[in-house]
Amino acid sequence: MSTASSTKTAATVNGIAIDDTFAEAFGMSGTGIIITADTAKWAAICATVLTGFGTSVIGCGAECGIDCELSPSETPDGRPGVRVLMFGFSPDSLGPQLKNRVGQCVLTSPGSACFNGLDSPKKLALSSGPRFFGDGWQTAKKLGKKRYWRVPVMDGEFIIEDKAGLTTDAVGGGNLLICGRDRAGLLETTEAAVAAIAKVPDVITPFPGGIVRSGSKVGSKYKGAMASTNGAFCPVLRGAVQSELGPEVIAVLEIVIDGLTSDAVKQSMRVGLKAVIDVGAAKGVTRVSAGNYGGKLGAHHYHLKDLLP
Amino acid sequence: MSGLTFKLRDASAGRLDLSALVPHKLAGLDMRDIAQIVVGKTRDQVRVGDVFDISGTSGDTLTFVGTTAACDGLGSELESGTVIVEGDAGAYAGRTMKSGRLDIRGSVGDFLAAGLKGGLVTVKGAAGNFVGAVLTGEKNGMAGGTVIVDGDIGERAGDRMRRGTIITRGKTGASAGSRMLGGTILAEGGLGATPGPLLRRGTLIAPSVARMTDTFGDCGRHELGILVIMSKHFSTTLGTLAPRPLPKIVHRFAGDLATSGKGEILLTG
Repeated sequence: MSTASSTKTAATVNGIAIDDTFAEAFGMSGTGIIITADTAKWAAICATVLTGFGTSVIGCGAECGIDCELSPSETPDGRPGVRVLMFGFSPDSLGPQLKNRVGQCVLTSPGSACFNGLDSPKKLALSSGPRFFGDGWQTAKKLGKKRYWRVPVMDGEFIIEDKAGLTTDAVGGGNLLICGRDRAGLLETTEAAVAAIAKVPDVITPFPGGIVRSGSKVGSKYKGAMASTNGAFCPVLRGAVQSELGPEVIAVLEIVIDGLTSDAVKQSMRVGLKAVIDVGAAKGVTRVSAGNYGGKLGAHHYHLKDLLP
Repeated sequence: MSGLTFKLRDASAGRLDLSALVPHKLAGLDMRDIAQIVVGKTRDQVRVGDVFDISGTSGDTLTFVGTTAACDGLGSELESGTVIVEGDAGAYAGRTMKSGRLDIRGSVGDFLAAGLKGGLVTVKGAAGNFVGAVLTGEKNGMAGGTVIVDGDIGERAGDRMRRGTIITRGKTGASAGSRMLGGTILAEGGLGATPGPLLRRGTLIAPSVARMTDTFGDCGRHELGILVIMSKHFSTTLGTLAPRPLPKIVHRFAGDLATSGKGEILLTG
């Protein structure tokens, strides 16, 4: 049983159909930290490891990503740095993720230091685990309202700020579904959209390279699986299920966006959509849609027609 | 900047306790009330009006002119606003001050900023013994805030100090940081003999030391990132009053090993 897409087209821009639909996103808790190191290379290595296995709260405990690189003048210790954002269902679930990831991936990384990366009245413990690695030799230095812990390690001292800022107004799950008739061209277009989104502050795209190829629906025929493949957007199932895809679509890629604010997520979707519209048609992109659950689960709805350039 | 000015008319009145003359304690009082405040330390009951000419209007700034080393307690328990001292100050200046700013344009006696909790204290001249120290009967000394002394400071600065920063452009006397529990003492002119006796935690920083305390262990030269953070903090919060940026590599001595040994003396020279 094959059917055409049930979603109406809101507009066609540069030959790309924009669905009259919306991305449905959820309220989350978020935090930001700054990783510094002796070189930009080692700050990036450390941040990459820290944010690894951080694609989805469903299976990873937290959604993590690199927000931006920081110059020495922008970091607390005057060294090259990276700002990392982490998102979780709640402060209670985010806290242990922060503690474990920093303890295993930042404390261990040569020359690293770890600082708060989000100004907020709400706080999350940042040093509560890693500082005890000092086995009693850790010392604190309070400067103004900030407390820094100095933990003796084999290459000197690991410096970690006591608290990180916390927001409970973060948003997770902003998304774009990009459909195309050429897989390589679709990937290039989606990469361009991810690159555009990366320039927006306060957001991350937590999946590999910022892109998801396994869009999911809630639930499964199998007990215990919280999510399963979104058959309506799987081209190979077009003839077998109630498909959302027309005959020209051979692949769909998704960009999932988490942000510290709803505005940041909205702006990310806007620039991502623009990037697709700017370069997509020549690369075989035919359509842009967005994922939702009928609007009943998530508090944040981002309508594509409102985000058109 | 509105405020009252107290010009010392009679410097022969003996020791004066001026701890009642801070903005929050004078709020709501008229000139007559203020003139009646007892500031003498003897049975003569010397009052403000007996020794000071008062001018100006109530506000968040008090200025003292012509003060001497017999004027104790200036800026004591200050909670907000500014106290300016155009002269010398006696003992206990800035004692247990919570916030605001105390500027002393002359020199100051013992126990400057003893038990300081917050705010900024600056001294153009020298300071006596026990800067930022614990007061008799109290558990800990300075617990926050910043003290900047352009001249030398006396012995046992920071005695049982717990938090905050003491900076001197000159030298400290002997035994700076005695029994210290935390915080930072930065002596741009060098540390006097035997610094940090029974130092538990906290940091003493100087280019040199007159004689190192025997119970400190030589840890060698190290690059400490915290010094960059501290320099940045000083620069941001103190502006032109900030000390010179600290070098990243310093010679570290851990101690006092006669106690927990988690404190340190960092020699920048």
